[in-house]
Amino acid sequence: MKVSGYQIFWLVNISSLIVFSYLPIHLAAEESRQDCWISIGLGCAIMMAITWLMLRICMQNKDKTLVGFLNDLLGTVLGKLFAAVYFLQWFLQMSAIMKGSLEFHNLILLHNTPMLVILLFVLFLVTYAVLRGGIIAISRCAEIIGPFFLFMLTSQLLLNPQDMDAKRILPVYVDTGWFHILKGTFYSLNYMVDPSIILMLFFFAANKRTASRAIFWGTAVSMLWGLLASLVLLFVTGPNVASELVFPVYSLTKFVSILNFIQNIDAFYIPMWLLGSLIKLSVYLFILSYGLSEWTGFKNWKLIASLISCAWLAWTLYSSHYLRLSYTTKSPFLIGFFYPFVYAVLPLLLWLIGSIRRRRALGAHEA
Amino acid sequence: MIRLALAVVVVIVLTLSASGCSDFVEPNQLAFVMASGLDHAENGMIEISHQIVIPSQLKKGSPGKSDSYFVMSAKGKDIFDAQQKIQRKLSRRMLTSHRILLLVGEEFMKHNQVSVMFDKLGRDPANNLRDAIVMVRGGSAKDILMLTHPMEYLSSVAAGKELQINGMKSFSSRKLVIDSLAEGSRPIIPFFQIEKIELSRAKKSPVAVLSGFAVLDKQLKVKGYLSDAEGAKALWMIGRGSSDGITIPWKDGNGALSFRMTHMNRRIHVLRGQDPKRVELTVAAQVYLLENTASLDMSEVDTMVMAQHYLNDYVQKDLQGTFDKMQRWGPDVFGIGEYLHRKDPAWWRSQKNDWDENFKKLDVTVKAKIQLRSSGIIGDQLK
Repeated sequence: MKVSGYQIFWLVNISSLIVFSYLPIHLAAEESRQDCWISIGLGCAIMMAITWLMLRICMQNKDKTLVGFLNDLLGTVLGKLFAAVYFLQWFLQMSAIMKGSLEFHNLILLHNTPMLVILLFVLFLVTYAVLRGGIIAISRCAEIIGPFFLFMLTSQLLLNPQDMDAKRILPVYVDTGWFHILKGTFYSLNYMVDPSIILMLFFFAANKRTASRAIFWGTAVSMLWGLLASLVLLFVTGPNVASELVFPVYSLTKFVSILNFIQNIDAFYIPMWLLGSLIKLSVYLFILSYGLSEWTGFKNWKLIASLISCAWLAWTLYSSHYLRLSYTTKSPFLIGFFYPFVYAVLPLLLWLIGSIRRRRALGAHEA
Repeated sequence: MIRLALAVVVVIVLTLSASGCSDFVEPNQLAFVMASGLDHAENGMIEISHQIVIPSQLKKGSPGKSDSYFVMSAKGKDIFDAQQKIQRKLSRRMLTSHRILLLVGEEFMKHNQVSVMFDKLGRDPANNLRDAIVMVRGGSAKDILMLTHPMEYLSSVAAGKELQINGMKSFSSRKLVIDSLAEGSRPIIPFFQIEKIELSRAKKSPVAVLSGFAVLDKQLKVKGYLSDAEGAKALWMIGRGSSDGITIPWKDGNGALSFRMTHMNRRIHVLRGQDPKRVELTVAAQVYLLENTASLDMSEVDTMVMAQHYLNDYVQKDLQGTFDKMQRWGPDVFGIGEYLHRKDPAWWRSQKNDWDENFKKLDVTVKAKIQLRSSGIIGDQLK
């Protein structure tokens, strides 16, 4: 299974846009109000740095997946343990996205349809894509959906020109101060992109050099989009309303009214978002099952994928009954310990060990 | 063969159920709400009225013969409660996402916390926040919704067009929410009154007319009413007028000049940085002379310069009068507070808690920068 650079660009781009359009802007605006674009900008910079770090690790371990090089670098026990941490992270992310899109559907479109029915359809499609063609099928879909998705998301931001007032972001900094700005960054940054998926995806890239460039640009484009979206949100609604909107990008689509004729753009936005989330969910399911099959040594990853979707179904149903399990975006454990660990601490460690080993190997070779 | 049959069955089941058969409402099962009204009711209740179109009557076109709408209303503890009661009496599901007008009764404004309705507007995705908000003075919102309009098939459509054609920018509910949440600006909303208008010798009918503007404070209580003429001046100073007309009496009661105004703008700037602040509010416009009963020979460039000069002086004095009147009420509908907030955030922090009082003490001068673009298509008067 090999994926081209262009495809990997869209895989990473869509995966990041899906979460970015859903969670972080609200989390940042709650804390830093009219300066939330600074929070988002800082978060983007940090996430780009982390992506760069992840890419370094990937380049050091071109011929292995995450599970493989964790074993290599940290030994079997620690390697397996930390791989399990990543599995947990992916599982949490995919359940959160699934849960979010279901809840959104029941709230806005399908008032009476049981959540289970929607869940089963989405699960069926995701599992079908993964079982049928694995990463090849997913990346082909991404290649088609990606341009439309990005175009839709970007153009709908610019359809509000008559309601924009750039002065709404003033005064910069003075009202909130660095503490709130950093707090906004701290809350939102983990939901801008999940950089850990590339540790797994990179293995499937046909050409590693173009793939690393594609991953970098895929992340960068979605980060730029996020920055633009938070600015537009502030221009259109101002800080007081922006900090209360739970689905800011969706609300922006509802505000669009050009000449009293072009309205209700959300009818386009929601299906596009759904298609995008399909890509994101399938990517997660694929890397999780492929990783698990390596982890357990059980070769049939397709069977594992089916089992995971069953577990996924059960978990989504279970967690939807407990509000505390479904609303974890601001959980202090997750954002204070778990995300920094999987996004920054562990990758840094891997990179250091990898570099030291490489130097040693080089030294030994020369000697 | 079996595989194919299986695939076909799966596809059919999927298309049927995935296309939303379970949760789909046909258009002929929908009742389109074009306008809603909020009124005060006794015992802490509110009354909601919905103006609902009858689609089959719309096709016939000619207004007046048979009503193309009806009004349903109910009382409830909050908006949703009342809406549910209306829904129970209807044969179709109400669809509020296409509403274009939201009327709020004067009594409701007086007795209720108006900001409670913002929660419903913002939280429920069935609202679009694009609908215009208009207050009803001296009557209930329900009465206005029930009126027919001589020209349009719905009074709500008429109201929306009236605002637009008279060059008034955005009085949408979103704008009201933004204004009322901001610390340094207060909302202003247009109000309707019912006027008996003689449409022909035989027919005299009540029509809802846009008759002025209400100035609201932070709690959305009415602090003062502006007549239509004053309102137009106020909108210009607020920066929400776009086109209008103006007639000024010429010196010593010698006739008058009338102008069409376009590109209406305003600009605020601070004259002195320290406290007390001195603020200058500059209004600008481009005008075209359309009527001249002051026997001025407009083919002379000197006369044109003089007319422009006189117009500026007149407007300046006139607007200053309106401004001073509104300043005495307290609410800063001009957004000067918001401007000062952006200009001098540290100073603003000491002012914002009592801005309505502090605004009264602010020294504001109005300046006019009107440019006469043309004197029409004749020079001197036709005598």
